[in-house]
Amino acid sequence: MFKKAKDNVEYLISLFLSIFAALLIGALIMLLNGQNPIVGYKALVLGAFGSKYKIATTFAKTVPLILTGLATAISFMSGIFNIGGEGQLYLGAFAAAYIGFTFTNLPVFIAIILAIIASALIGGLYAYFPAVLRVKYEIDEVITTIMLNSVAILFTNYLVNYPFQAAQGKMGGTDMIAEAFKFPKLVKLSKLNTSIFYTAIIAIIIYYLIKKTPFGYNFRIVGENGVFAKYAGINTKRYMILAMVISGALCGIAGAFEVYGVHYRFLQNISKGYAFDGMLVALIVKNNPVGIILMSIFFAMLKTGSNSMEVATGIPSELILVIQSIIILFIAGENGFKKLFKEYRLKRGKLVK
Amino acid sequence: MLHDVFNLTLLQNTIRTATPLILAALGGLLTMHAGILNIGMEGMILIGAFFGVLGSYYFGSALAGVLLAMLSGLLIGLIFGVFTIELKSDEFIIGIAINIFAGGLTVFLLRSIFGVKGAFSSPKIVPLPDVHFPIIDKLGFLDVIFNNHSVFIYISWILVICVYIFLYKTPYGYWMRGAGEHPECLETVGVSPKRMKYISSLLCGIFCGIAGAHLSLGYLTLFTENMSAGRGFIALAAIIFGASNPIKTFGAALLFGFFDALGIRLQGVGIASQFTQMIPYLATIFVLFIVAKGKLNRKGI
Repeated sequence: MFKKAKDNVEYLISLFLSIFAALLIGALIMLLNGQNPIVGYKALVLGAFGSKYKIATTFAKTVPLILTGLATAISFMSGIFNIGGEGQLYLGAFAAAYIGFTFTNLPVFIAIILAIIASALIGGLYAYFPAVLRVKYEIDEVITTIMLNSVAILFTNYLVNYPFQAAQGKMGGTDMIAEAFKFPKLVKLSKLNTSIFYTAIIAIIIYYLIKKTPFGYNFRIVGENGVFAKYAGINTKRYMILAMVISGALCGIAGAFEVYGVHYRFLQNISKGYAFDGMLVALIVKNNPVGIILMSIFFAMLKTGSNSMEVATGIPSELILVIQSIIILFIAGENGFKKLFKEYRLKRGKLVK
Repeated sequence: MLHDVFNLTLLQNTIRTATPLILAALGGLLTMHAGILNIGMEGMILIGAFFGVLGSYYFGSALAGVLLAMLSGLLIGLIFGVFTIELKSDEFIIGIAINIFAGGLTVFLLRSIFGVKGAFSSPKIVPLPDVHFPIIDKLGFLDVIFNNHSVFIYISWILVICVYIFLYKTPYGYWMRGAGEHPECLETVGVSPKRMKYISSLLCGIFCGIAGAHLSLGYLTLFTENMSAGRGFIALAAIIFGASNPIKTFGAALLFGFFDALGIRLQGVGIASQFTQMIPYLATIFVLFIVAKGKLNRKGI
């Protein structure tokens, strides 16, 4: 118990050090470009939280991050790695859009429920295949899910350019969903919409599932020690498949929310790597659901604020992508760094004696 | 219409589209042999492509571009190595981080150095030269398919043979395979598996750097955002399809290059290219399935 608390403290220290170091590198780059990093970072924070509209824009960006982050967490903690979130998101988004522009006469409530179920089903199904290949045939799911990403993106690309192209012609998108189905906006002109409430509900359910039910405990046991789990009578294969399917379903739903809340149609490039961003978020906070929400807000802040930083300093907004990937590098190397640090201290201790 | 698609130009294009895959895959299969699954090739190619253009533009020489691309590849391979080998981080996490890092860094540098968004092209970028073999001038279709290609197309074929010899005929290759298959055994004969893993990782970075430089200085003469466009993943597919054997991987890359070229030409006559583009990915999963099934059957016996 105490060891765990100590681990958590150590992890939090590493986390803050990583973020601090990455921001420091960002500051250095700004300095090298002849800009004042304080001005840059101040503009970034103000750009993300400086007005009602800006706050709304920031929080709108958390929706796909939180969903794909939770999706990553569920699969990773169960020891099966779903890197295919991007593909599942695309297929889910298309399925939801299909319902939205085909069954336009349905009552709003039913249409939305249907769309969410359809996106979850197709996302889950698309994750089911690599999961079965993994547990039944021991085929590395990292490779298969990466390959399936490209397949899904190409397939939906075909759908919107051929059988389902918009009535006004090839534009890389489907027809609009029915007007009534669009999620209402919460702040005028911003992209913030009611999907954030649904996301909150989903996050609470997942938190409950992970932390308070035997399901969550079993997922972790399977992930941490498959052999032990087997002897404890847990069907590890079933849990791994289940984790993967839930993960895929969440990514599918993330796609549905992009369609119903933001674009109102399926677009061939509807996600710019949201699932990968979500994966980074989950990895950084080690699959902790609350951490995922906080880190999603941090990432969304970087994304939204980076434009203001660019305006204030002339530094291209892509700097934050560099900062984000440096954070993940440091966190991924955390255990290794700690070991090196301890070895170094030991060595130095010996020398002093 | 079919005549417009299936002709000699298709084969010529196949050789063109396959080359970046061949170059990257040669690097990736070395790490694969050393026991590292590298999904960061996509980002490594992208970085090579950018620094290739940068070097060629500033020094007015394609060779300088290639050297800078190799150097950048070496650095990124070193980062990959330090994190996966020294710090023992998850390979695929570092791979993903490198892909995102490369996407961000190249766009950032594109905008801060060249002040443009999206793409950079300039008459000052010196492209890699095309090579003309007078001997095959008169050989009709062979001339069309094999002559007048960019220089790295021919170099890539030589490199395939070099990598084959390196892996199977030199002690280094033997040790590198040992580092992946039986690292403990390697250690007992006094060779550090860690060192072999590092070498594979650095070489992979260099190969991907060359692949990128070929992309931005040979295949095209410009840099565009995200111009690796999935080639790193198709290269990975080729490695798996070719069971990490350089000759077989070369064949797989040619095959995937063929489908890529076919897709581009089908698109030219208004036929959907997405399904031909899917083939490398689906074929890889299929091959993994066949191999896994064979293993299970053998276990059963």
